[in-house]
Amino acid sequence: MPFRLLNSRMVEAQVVPGQRLFSQRGAMLAYKGDVSFTPSITGGQGGVMGMIGRRIANEATPLMTVEGNGTVMFGHGGHHVHVIELSGDTLYVEADRLLAFDGTLQQGTMFMGSQGGVMGMVRGQVTGQGLFTTTLKGHGAVAVMAHGGFIELPITPQRPVVVDPQAYVAHRGDVRNKLTAALGWREVVGRGSGEAFRLELSGTGTVYVQASEEKL
Amino acid sequence: MTSPVIHDASTLPSNDNVNPYAFSVDLKGQWFLQKGKMIAYYGQINFHGIGHGPLDRLIAGSFHSPLHAADWVVAEGQGKMLLADRSFDVNSYDLEDGNLTVRSGNLLAFEPTLSLKQSIIPGFLTLIGTGKFVAASNGPVVFVEPPIRVDPQALVGWADCPSPCHHYDHQYMRGVMGGVRRLTGLGGASGEEHQFEFVGAGTVLLQSTEQLMDEIATGDGPPPEAGVPPHASHGNQPMTPRLPGQLGDLQRRFGL
Amino acid sequence: MAQFRLQGSKVLAVDMNGDAVKAKNGSMVAYEGDMTFKKLTGGGDGLRGMVTRRLTGEQMEVMEVKGHGTCYFADRASEINLVTLSGETLYVEASNLLCTDSSLRTGTTFTGLRGASQGNGLFTTTVEGTGQAAILSDGSAIVLRVTPQLPLQVDPGAYIAHTGRLKQHFQSGVNFRTFIGEGSGEAFQIRFEGDGLVYVQPSERNTIGGDI
Repeated sequence: MPFRLLNSRMVEAQVVPGQRLFSQRGAMLAYKGDVSFTPSITGGQGGVMGMIGRRIANEATPLMTVEGNGTVMFGHGGHHVHVIELSGDTLYVEADRLLAFDGTLQQGTMFMGSQGGVMGMVRGQVTGQGLFTTTLKGHGAVAVMAHGGFIELPITPQRPVVVDPQAYVAHRGDVRNKLTAALGWREVVGRGSGEAFRLELSGTGTVYVQASEEKL
Repeated sequence: MTSPVIHDASTLPSNDNVNPYAFSVDLKGQWFLQKGKMIAYYGQINFHGIGHGPLDRLIAGSFHSPLHAADWVVAEGQGKMLLADRSFDVNSYDLEDGNLTVRSGNLLAFEPTLSLKQSIIPGFLTLIGTGKFVAASNGPVVFVEPPIRVDPQALVGWADCPSPCHHYDHQYMRGVMGGVRRLTGLGGASGEEHQFEFVGAGTVLLQSTEQLMDEIATGDGPPPEAGVPPHASHGNQPMTPRLPGQLGDLQRRFGL
Repeated sequence: MAQFRLQGSKVLAVDMNGDAVKAKNGSMVAYEGDMTFKKLTGGGDGLRGMVTRRLTGEQMEVMEVKGHGTCYFADRASEINLVTLSGETLYVEASNLLCTDSSLRTGTTFTGLRGASQGNGLFTTTVEGTGQAAILSDGSAIVLRVTPQLPLQVDPGAYIAHTGRLKQHFQSGVNFRTFIGEGSGEAFQIRFEGDGLVYVQPSERNTIGGDI
């Protein structure tokens, strides 16, 4: 477990030789020891194809590789930081929410449309983050940012959860997402221009919702 | 449901935090305050502008940053006074015959037993002596010990250790990406390639984000003089030589 | 009656069992169960309330949420404070009111000069009755008691709400003669006298008043 929360907005990571981390560019606040930071367009995995994929997916949040032997402190924009542990399952998260994560996690991008049909495709447009969402899979920890911190809501087959797409942070588990435009929904989710959408998550898993309708 | 704590003049803490964002001063005499930071008070308290009237002697003894004077007032009297700053985290610090240097925008208030001077590092103020002061930070403060390298924007201040020096990360400049950056100018100007390096014994104060609080001008500093480092008129940007291809804030904003 | 509880300090969870609450427009972040959302005009006071609001400029866009399940509200990561009313009146700036039990009546009242200094209009929202309300603050609010022996001075920008029988008036207790002409000349405070509670936030909206 390389991440330790120092307070609600700052996380400390141990870097040991042979184990690298990825972090968002510009998120390093301080470090001790012999640590190097290398910008990486591809996020270190996926090669050129991954890179192009990301370009198209507009998931171009620049990452850097963190390697060496020491301690690094991360924080960004005053946003609250949460550490999510993965044990073999997959986390779906928008790339600019990622503060730092274990290099051992398998990265991918998922076309949201493949899950939610035509409306699923729109989700990215609504949240302004492209049609693709980053997936992280494997065993390791992820430090995720949220405006004002987030709450975890369990999703069960009996209890689907409806979320304001602007307040959606991430989800995990065997979850289907469905995006619909609802009449009169504008008043409910407020802010922004254009159509108002509701994001419905059903299945079994967890959704992370932030305490704000503002995107990062 | 738990009902909220209700405070009055007697139950408000004495020179301590009410919550992470507000500090209660038990005023018996005088305190220096930055303007705009008092949110409420009980008791008989008067506020005086600096550089005027009966407090000249006090100011001569404790306030050595003449160009700041317009941003500060002296609170005088008896009572409890609440201080806060845009819901940033607020902390008090006790100095015992010590010195601590803090980013000028972060300092909220201090006891007149301390004396305030302009640091040789642009944008920072130094407090010397024995007493209490109150400072804000964007996110809670983390205390670390040298040797350490910090993103200049995350630095709140430092105590007892020598002033920092600049450190440039050459690893970051090397290799394919470094080359691309040198050729195209793409690639960043973020904390990962330039840090403040602290060595020696002491304590370094970091805030939890690289986003600075609004700066309070430290004034123009002394006139140009041989052997005295120039003082930035806006203490915001540390005086670093710009690397080739750097666009400063723009690049950072666009994440290049 | 709908049950209000805080999930952390910035998310309000309301458990409903067929009953309803009024909430600030756009503040829903998630819900489970069956909910209906209905936009209310003029703060839910019907036509008369709406007309008053037009006149007073105290704009509170409100929706009614009704159903079975749990609804989660949040507003720009502001801190949320619960206030339980048992018959008394809560005076609060409209922008600071997040959610009220539907059994509470909301209205508008003239507050005199304070509103003017904040640019919030001359009127304040009142909430009265028995039930729970949730108010917003920038940073966790501090509740300060005022008694006849202990009046309280508050920066207009840090004031968010009060309850009880309080008289308020402006005072300019600051000696800034030296700086006349520097734009930071005068500072105002609101002085509260009487018996009641004042909610202040550890932050200041921009005011033409509070320069201390």
